[in-house]
Order: sequence, then C-alpha cells, then structure tokens
Amino acid sequence: MTVALRRFVFHLVSLSLLGLGFAQASFGGTIDTRSLMALEAGDAARERVLELLDREDVASRLAELGVEPTLVQARVAAMSDAEIAAFGERLDAGMAGGDAIAVIGVVFLVLLILELVGVTNVFTKI
Amino acid sequence: MCSRRSDARVSATRPGAGLLPALFFAALLAGCAAQPDLAGVRPAPELSATPFHPQERYQCGPAALLTVLEHSGAEASLDALVEQVYLPGARGSLQVELLAATRRAGRVPYVLPGTLAALAAEVAAGRPVLVMQNLGVRLIPRWHYAVVIAVDPAGGRVVLRSGTERRRVTPLGLFARTWARSGNWAFVALGPGELPATLERERYYDALAGVEESGRPALALPGWQAALTQWPGDAVAQFGLGNARLALGDWRAAEHAYRELLAARPALAPARNNLALALLEQGRLAVAEAEAQQALADADPGSALAAEISDTLARIRAAREAQSSRSGSPSSTSR
Repeated sequence: MTVALRRFVFHLVSLSLLGLGFAQASFGGTIDTRSLMALEAGDAARERVLELLDREDVASRLAELGVEPTLVQARVAAMSDAEIAAFGERLDAGMAGGDAIAVIGVVFLVLLILELVGVTNVFTKI
Repeated sequence: MCSRRSDARVSATRPGAGLLPALFFAALLAGCAAQPDLAGVRPAPELSATPFHPQERYQCGPAALLTVLEHSGAEASLDALVEQVYLPGARGSLQVELLAATRRAGRVPYVLPGTLAALAAEVAAGRPVLVMQNLGVRLIPRWHYAVVIAVDPAGGRVVLRSGTERRRVTPLGLFARTWARSGNWAFVALGPGELPATLERERYYDALAGVEESGRPALALPGWQAALTQWPGDAVAQFGLGNARLALGDWRAAEHAYRELLAARPALAPARNNLALALLEQGRLAVAEAEAQQALADADPGSALAAEISDTLARIRAAREAQSSRSGSPSSTSR
C-alpha cells in the first residue's frame, strides 16, 4: 500500500503539472494532431471513470462513506480533460496486472475517486 | 548505444568472439531461464536480401539503421547516419535519434508492440526489424542494436544482422532475454503511406504525429490517408490529414478536410480553429472570423485550447483591420 500511495501522490503532482500547456502549434496557430489525440484520450478516460462509479462495490463503499454517487458523477463531469487523463493513466498503471479493483483495492480506488473530485483533501497537501 | 564499456565492446567486435558472451549468459541465466512466450509467433522466413553493413567498433546504431532504411528503399549513407545518430562521447546512439534519423530519411518509424509475435509478424510481412538488446546484465549493460531478419519458432531461433556477423543465429530464448532487458524496444521503417503488419491505431497515430512534429507533412500526409482507408471517418486521422495539407500550404484541400470532419463532429473545436486558419490563409477573413468565434464557443472556457483559439481569433481580427485600413472598407475579398 505504501508504494501504491507514493505512486498516487506522484500522479497527483503530475496531474497538477499536466494542465500547463497545450502542445505548441507546428504551423502558426495550428492545433497539432497530438493535441487532438490527447483530447480524445481524455474523453475515453472520463467514460471509464464514470463506469467505475457505476460499479456496485465502488458505489456501496461510497455510500458507506456517506457520499452521494450522483454528486461524485457531477464532479467527474466537471473535471478538465487533463485531470481525467491523469486519472486514466493511474488506472492504466493499476490495471496492468488485471482488474483495477483486484490490483489496487476498492478502498484505495474510492479514496482516489474522492480525492480527484475534491471531496477529500488527504493527499494534496504535500 | 552499443556499449559504454570499451573492453567488452572490443572483444565483441572480433569475429568469433560472440561465443564468449553467449557462454557467459548461459552460465548466468541457467537458473532463471524462462521459456519465451511463443503464443502467436508465426514462422518468418529469412529476408536474405536484407543489406549488411558490418559495424565499425561502436557504430551498431548507424549500421543497423542503414540496414532497415536501405531495405525500405530509402536513400541513406553510413557517413550521413553516423553524423546524425552517433554520439562519440557515449560510443553509441540513442533510441530517439534513430527514430529522428528515420524521419529524416523519409521513412515513418513505427515502434512495435514489445512481443515476439509482433516482431515475427513484421518480418513475415517482409520488413526487417531493428531491435535494441542488452547483451550485458542489468547492472553492467552492454547495449546493442541489431536487425532481425528471420524468426523460426519451431527451430527456436532468430537470425540477425548483428555487428560484424552477417547471419547471427541466436536461440530464441536468449534473444528474448537480451531484448527484454532493453524493454523490448523494436521498430520498423515504413514507406510513405505504408501500414505495418502489426497495425494498432494509437501506435500508428503516434508515429505519424511524430513525423508531423518533425516538420515533414509530405511524409505524414499519405500516412493519414492510409489510416482513413483502415478506419474510415476517423476523427484524428481526418484532422491529421487537414493539418498535413495546411502545413504544405494547400489551404483549400486543408479546408475541405476540416469541413468534412466538422460535418460529422460539429463541436470539435480544434478542427474549427484550424479551419479558421485555412480560411485566413486564403484571405477569406470574414468567414475565418466567424469560424474562430464558433470554435471559441465550443471550447471549454478557460482551457488551454480556448487560449489557442483566442490567439487565432486575434490574428484574424488583426488581418481584417490591416485589410480595412488599406482598402478603406471592411470587406472579405478573396486573394
């Protein structure tokens, strides 16, 4: 868990750095193709986060913590693409060995979701 | 890079010295030798027409690169490649520089999925594969570039153009381990518009985006067209096509590509921003301004994308003002 936690903090930091800039244009003012790829990846990641919230084990754990899943969903919808993309990368890292829940644990996943949508503020003060 | 250790390098460049490291590995790895994953590895007959450039001392990078470039029909010379990718101080070449030099030679470097199956699939399709190996151990690495020209899963071996050896036959398990220690790094050089046998959307788009960023729109353009035959109507490929045409100065064709994309995805602000630029270049300033305004309305307020579009809008407005002060009347004439 400590390694996972350290990685989590690392990703939170990289999350804050991600929003720094759109890729520089290759031809005066053109938005380059890689920027669109990043936007599309953000959309896909957003869908996956919302799918996670639909999972029964995640939803019930959130309910135990007294958090309304619809509230979290609204916050996910309000997150920037860069924030979502960073979360998507975190998920990819967690899922490399299989199912996210199995690998990083439902409690951790719920904490991650809560943190990312700003319900909690456990890890950001570093 | 080939090696950071001169002693190891010197011994390995002597013909016939390859046996020693092999024995060294056999002794070292006997305890943890796992069988390579042969799932989906199909036999790839030897590409015997692949050129061979015996490397001089540490220059396995330029030599291996020249081998794959020549095979793909690109114009290249060892001297030019040495200049482009060889780092005398490190006595070797960096991976990113091999990819960059491939683009300079007019080829698209496509980094393969790191599996033996992918490697075999490309060789079977007639493409020699440039691989990076670590012939040492993790702690004392001895980096090496070679070119795979045959994969024989039944016989358990691969054939490489490697160093001074024209046909280096390596057991599959040993190759898999030395390759794994480089992070299974491998790539093929694709001609303009050529699709790899191991085509994956993200990988191919990443390769083409790299070509675009290196300022070679004429090479990226046929790649995006090929992608559109594979994934008709794909937004990223259509966008890439428009960007390549725009960078080539083909404003009308670029406009057409963006409009086609926007017909399917009206709220795609990046495409509308670039459409506005294509119109600006044609001197159609009033339409350009309207498109830029719409793009701004479609972007998330406060996002980096919105800032980019604001810049576009400012450029168009400046052009309009310059035009109206010249002609005395605000009009949107075509050049």
